Amino acid sequence: MKRVGFTLNGKTTTCDVEENELLLHTLRERLSIASVKEGCSIGECGTCTVLIDNEPCYACLTLTAKVEGRDVLTVEYLAHADLLHPLQESFISHGAVQCGFCTPAMLLVGYSLLLKHRQPTDEQIREAMSGNLCRCTGYVQIIEAIKDAAPVFIHSGS
Amino acid sequence: MLPPFSYIAVHSKQEALTSLASLAGAALLAGGTDLLVRMKKGETHRYVIDLTGAAELSGVKDRGGTLRIGSGMTHARIGAHPAIAKTCGGLAAACSAVGSPQVRNMGTLGGNLVNASPAADSIAPLLVHNAVVTLESIDGMRSEKLERFITGPYRTTIGKHEILTSVEADTLAGYNEGYRRVAKRAGWAISRLSLAWALNDADGVFKDVRIAVGSCTPVPFRPREAEAFLAGKGRERPVVEEAVKMVLDEIRRISGMRPSFAYKLPVVRDLLLSVLGGDSCS
Ligand SMILES: Cc1cc2nc3c(=O)[nH]c(=O)nc-3n(C[C@H](O)[C@H](O)[C@H](O)COP(=O)(O)OP(=O)(O)OC[C@H]3O[C@@H](n4cnc5c(N)ncnc54)[C@H](O)[C@@H]3O)c2cc1C
Ligand code: FES
Ligand code: FES
Repeated sequence: MKRVGFTLNGKTTTCDVEENELLLHTLRERLSIASVKEGCSIGECGTCTVLIDNEPCYACLTLTAKVEGRDVLTVEYLAHADLLHPLQESFISHGAVQCGFCTPAMLLVGYSLLLKHRQPTDEQIREAMSGNLCRCTGYVQIIEAIKDAAPVFIHSGS
Repeated sequence: MLPPFSYIAVHSKQEALTSLASLAGAALLAGGTDLLVRMKKGETHRYVIDLTGAAELSGVKDRGGTLRIGSGMTHARIGAHPAIAKTCGGLAAACSAVGSPQVRNMGTLGGNLVNASPAADSIAPLLVHNAVVTLESIDGMRSEKLERFITGPYRTTIGKHEILTSVEADTLAGYNEGYRRVAKRAGWAISRLSLAWALNDADGVFKDVRIAVGSCTPVPFRPREAEAFLAGKGRERPVVEEAVKMVLDEIRRISGMRPSFAYKLPVVRDLLLSVLGGDSCS
């Protein structure tokens, strides 16, 4: 076992994990963050995406020991109490959520993009989403949702 | 799930070199996008040494005539680096084409080269820049040309106790350079190909032509005969067509005839014709 300390959704977190443990499993099984999904497990579907220091990474290919001292965000970070983040509201109003399996990760890549580009082009949105599969929506609704959230985008947690 | 191992985080290059020399059965971990996928499929190691904390492996230095790029640089950082974009643009383009944003945020140049897949995107542009890799162990340091370092698909000359610390690439000012790849979605195991180039021409005459072809041969390669043939010649259609034929012949000579060539070779031909031909031949 190994003790790992990192910031999870703005809170200092310490956790004892196996040395070969993946961040995906630590989040889901030890920290009850079930929004991070296990799809393919080998870096191809994107459903396990988390933000590490604000950059999208696959939790299925990240050892938990590797996030020592880093800042990890999951979709739980976006909403406050009962209030959804404008990006989440936008996903709902655009019908960008169907089965919902890809949604937490899609929200995170959208959030990370909007942190860097307040007015992203369609091309930038498509590029940002290119590591995430959605089997339901056909993507167009997600692109529109991210684009329309841009003007009301607020940095969650600040 | 991953097979069990002891995880070791190092905080400097020196610590990494010492750990690697003293621990039998250790694997180096950079971004993990190749290593952990292999380990999920059953590859085992007694120790995994995480290089992320070795700050010396990161960063880019302009050494006047060459750029030294740390092996720990991620594809995302290479793609966004101003000095690399300016004098090593083909590499910036190639790293920006790797996998997905997540893979680019995690995967490193060192991992890409040591893994040495025939389809590794950084290899072809680095060949165009006559790249030399630096390998270090506790016993010392050595440099090797990239084209010698990679000896076959997934094979390199790296020693058991060596770390690839940096890559040095010629800066090419005044060249028109780039990278193109033809790929299906990264995850699909379907053949693809790539082309890196850097051209220096003036008044319709080729001065220096550098080409590297990836994914057609066991190791990405420079078609030297065709490059030499073009040097000093006019940028004209018949000249370019002759050079393209030389490249295709060389691919067939190296790899023999493969079923995938029915689709790959015409694509290589068309890419080369448009890159070498430029406006003068269209
Ligand atoms: C979904 C997906 C898509 C991908 N798409 C592409 C693509 O489009 N193009 C492409 O080229 N690659 C692609 N890859 C492969 C991979 O992402 C790259 O090869 C990447 O650059 C590997 O770097 P890494 O830091 O993750 O290496 P790791 O997995 O950490 O290491 C790879 C190997 O190199 C060794 N190693 C790492 N660093 C060093 C060092 N400094 N010195 C000595 N040995 C070292 C490790 O021990 C290991 O054997 C993809 C991978 C995935 C999972
Ligand atoms: S579960 Fe990580 S990318 Fe599919
Ligand atoms: S909403 Fe079902 S996979 Fe995207």
